[in-house]
Amino acid sequence: MTVYETEVPGVGRKFELDLEGGERAVVVVHHDGKRELFVRPSPDADSERLLTLSGRQARRLGAILEGAYFQPVDLDSVDVPLGEAIIEWVTVGEDSPLVGRTLGEANVRGETGVSILAVQRDEETHANPDSAFELRVGDILVALGTREEHGPLATLVGGESGDREPTER
Amino acid sequence: MAGGLLVQVGIALTALALAGALAHRYDQSVIPAYIVAGVLVGPNAPTLLAGLQFRLVEYREFVTVLADLGIVFLLFFLGLEFSVETLLGDWRRLATVGTVDFVVNFGLGLGLGFVAGLDVLGALFVAGVVYISSSAVVTKSLVDRGWVADPEAEAILGTLVFEDVLIAVYLALLSAVALGGGDLVDAATAVGVAFVVLGALTVAAWYGTGWVERAFAADSDELFLLRVLGVTTLVAGASLAAGVSEAVAAFFVGSAFSRTTLVDRVERVVSPARDLFAAVFFFAIGLTTDLSLLAAATGLLAVAVVLSAGGKLASGTLSGRIWGLDARRSVRVGVGLVPRGEFSLVLAAVAATVGGPVGRVVPAFAVGYVLVMSVLGTVLMSHDEVVVRPLVRLLGE
Repeated sequence: MTVYETEVPGVGRKFELDLEGGERAVVVVHHDGKRELFVRPSPDADSERLLTLSGRQARRLGAILEGAYFQPVDLDSVDVPLGEAIIEWVTVGEDSPLVGRTLGEANVRGETGVSILAVQRDEETHANPDSAFELRVGDILVALGTREEHGPLATLVGGESGDREPTER
Repeated sequence: MAGGLLVQVGIALTALALAGALAHRYDQSVIPAYIVAGVLVGPNAPTLLAGLQFRLVEYREFVTVLADLGIVFLLFFLGLEFSVETLLGDWRRLATVGTVDFVVNFGLGLGLGFVAGLDVLGALFVAGVVYISSSAVVTKSLVDRGWVADPEAEAILGTLVFEDVLIAVYLALLSAVALGGGDLVDAATAVGVAFVVLGALTVAAWYGTGWVERAFAADSDELFLLRVLGVTTLVAGASLAAGVSEAVAAFFVGSAFSRTTLVDRVERVVSPARDLFAAVFFFAIGLTTDLSLLAAATGLLAVAVVLSAGGKLASGTLSGRIWGLDARRSVRVGVGLVPRGEFSLVLAAVAATVGGPVGRVVPAFAVGYVLVMSVLGTVLMSHDEVVVRPLVRLLGE
């Protein structure tokens, strides 16, 4: 597979790439960073302009074409008014006093101030668990609270606090 | 009155803005639009338009200075975009098509000049005006129409590169004659000396690419712009004071940049300044144009338009065949070389300084010629099938 590169005086550079059946892709990179993508169906035909891209768009498109593009959902732009609070994921450790107790018995909110929004157990997520929900080793608590409130919680669960990045608001 | 001057500058720029907008609206090159704007608001006829007094802008010093900068930066960019790579990469083929283009069209122009009753110098000016295609108009149309992706664009732009070298030499020679007012031999000697000096500077800049890059490495675009404008204008001005064309000096300064990594940055940062100066240059041409003089040159103009359009079509088609293109693409090479523009006008500006019949006839002819050829060339490129189909049939394919 050959790529032909030529200088286009006063414009920029031109790259040509042979495709199947005599087709040819032509990319013109302008001095100002603009990229134009053409396809020439056969050697005798005129090139048709497919796309005109800015430098940024071209790099993004290039990454997609290359299969290297991955962008996680931008959590910063999720609009949840949480004030000073942050959400943390904490795992209930083996030595935690919470093991075998219900949320009501443990009185997590009373002890630490955080609210348990959900509990992830194996593949399941128990959203908005009630006070009768019994905690086990390995449960992941999705907890909402201020930074100060998360400290005592981390001690309480006795496991490392959060195997995910906290999401700050 | 200072306020009056500011109002005139305002009128000039607004007229340019309107003319440019109109040209874009109708897919035309801005060059003829800027000239017409200059004619309309300028001191020459028509001064009365729809009952309104239309004599808004006089030819003042601000116009002269900006127009001079226009010439300097048009040539600076010609040097900047001058592709040694293209020239050396395929010099045999390039020299062949360049020679065909030169012999046919320059020869035609020379003949026209003599038929018009001009002396040798006048005929040489007319030949230059008729010979040189417009890089600005052609390149813009190539990009707009998408031809830039096709092989004919290589032949067209290759021919332009050859023309660029030639016009730099030619401009130096003619302006030396014009400045010195002397004969061709004296001028040739002066030009020879100038070329050795400027050429040495350029070669130094080439081998000192790293040095040029360091000298112009500014963090902010503002400082970069000022540095490029400053150095280029200074070199151009100093050259003019020493009796060498400022335009040619600017060409050499531009070509010193052409091998550095700064090219893209110059294109991005300095182009807007060039566009402003060049617009005022075309406007100034319009201001000094007397339509009644133009009317006197109508006969010559009509003959020149028909012959030289045919000349470029013929030489371009032949060049296309030499380049190895099929008949259709070859004819398109010819079509793509028809537009004339900025460099014909630069030559006209030099001719205007000569005085005598040359100083009167050549500029008037060049303005009318560029007005017609830039529009005709753009229109032909957007409706190329009108020309291509019959010519391809003529070629028997």
